[in-house]
Amino acid sequence: MSLLEELKGLGVNIEEGMDRLMGNAALYERMLGTFVKMLQESGVQPDFDNTDYAEITEKAHAIKGAFGNLSITPVYEAYSEIVRLLREDKPEQAKEILKNILPIQDEIIQCINRHRS
Amino acid sequence: MDNEKTILIVDDVEINRAILSEIFKSDYNIMEAEGGEQAIKLLEDNQHIAAVLLDLIMPGINGLDVLKAMNHNGQIKKIPVFLITAVNNQDMLLEGYNLGAVDVITKPFMAHFLQCRVKNIIELYGHRNELEQMVAEQVKRLNEVNQSMVETLATLIEFRDCESGEHVKRICGLTKILMTEVSDRYPEYHLPQSEIDKIVASSILHDVGKISIPDRILNKPGRLTKEEFDIMKEHTTRGCDILQKIPNIMDEGLYNYSYDICRHHHERWDGGGYPDGLKGDDITIWSQVVAVADVYDALTSERVYKKAFSKETAVEMIKNGECGSFNPKVLKVFEDCIAKN
Repeated sequence: MSLLEELKGLGVNIEEGMDRLMGNAALYERMLGTFVKMLQESGVQPDFDNTDYAEITEKAHAIKGAFGNLSITPVYEAYSEIVRLLREDKPEQAKEILKNILPIQDEIIQCINRHRS
Repeated sequence: MDNEKTILIVDDVEINRAILSEIFKSDYNIMEAEGGEQAIKLLEDNQHIAAVLLDLIMPGINGLDVLKAMNHNGQIKKIPVFLITAVNNQDMLLEGYNLGAVDVITKPFMAHFLQCRVKNIIELYGHRNELEQMVAEQVKRLNEVNQSMVETLATLIEFRDCESGEHVKRICGLTKILMTEVSDRYPEYHLPQSEIDKIVASSILHDVGKISIPDRILNKPGRLTKEEFDIMKEHTTRGCDILQKIPNIMDEGLYNYSYDICRHHHERWDGGGYPDGLKGDDITIWSQVVAVADVYDALTSERVYKKAFSKETAVEMIKNGECGSFNPKVLKVFEDCIAKN
């Protein structure tokens, strides 16, 4: 199964993502790789400081935008919620959502890495 | 592709920049900035940026800061800025609009809509900038034509006065030097350069009223009698009458300066001048300056009734009050400027 087919099975809206890149599949795959790198370098972990999380909010906001633009919809929706909760001073609830979404996020990352290696 | 047109994409997330770049690269040159600081630098260094796609939330200098910089240097009037945001922060978006942003691009991007919106706005701004340029050029040409009409009028008067037209040019030159220095040196007389330029252009018509003075007085080779001098003095008020009849020859600013200079360039600091006997700073600074320039040029030029004095003698005569009294501050500037040139 190709990378894009596999991602589709994981809930990624491939058509929308490709459409955003004017149908350029190679670029889409390259962007997925770039995104994985970005997550590995500066992903958000659920053990962040509960008192000072401005930096985490900024990071989660950037990740959310990239997930959205690549149409990785299930994770994008979760990060939208995480950012909203952080901005509303509800870090505990944000952490819960992050914990629940991380396995799906990891699965998508592994899928991309498997096809790229 | 229109190689003249470049879109600057400003976003700290590489993926977002890459996506936007892909959307627009077939129609425009693409320039990318990873943050606000780099964006401001690129905007300063590149004249052909047709639009900016600007992320609002970035570490360090954010999108609003970039907009503020573009307001500060005036680029916001020429370059359309689209705010990129995934945030539904109405206060921030409102501030962005208030700072001159034209539209908001929400993430995730919708490629086709985005292309249409950016293309339409770039075309609109292009037409607007072209029109503004055309209007500015036409206004410039119109001003040049008006100025040359004024110069022609002034030269005709000079010919009647047996001068070659050089007197008005010298008055303009000296007015420019003196007015600039007075403005720089004394805060109470400070004027913006644009106003000084208008004063200089207006000084050319200071003697327009001489056209109404009979030849026998204007070109009399000897000293004027009291009666003749009284008629000669009328060139100030008659000049104003002439200007009132041709107000459309120049814009309002030029007209006001011309009128004032025409009427008051023979007033004196101690109130001993004419036609109104104004005293001190009741005389506008521009009329005071033209008065000194006019006297100096009259002294150093040959006239039908006298030989030309040397530069040094003329300065001494003016300082000694032989041509009436002048503002000491203007006199100091005058003395320094003559010594320098």
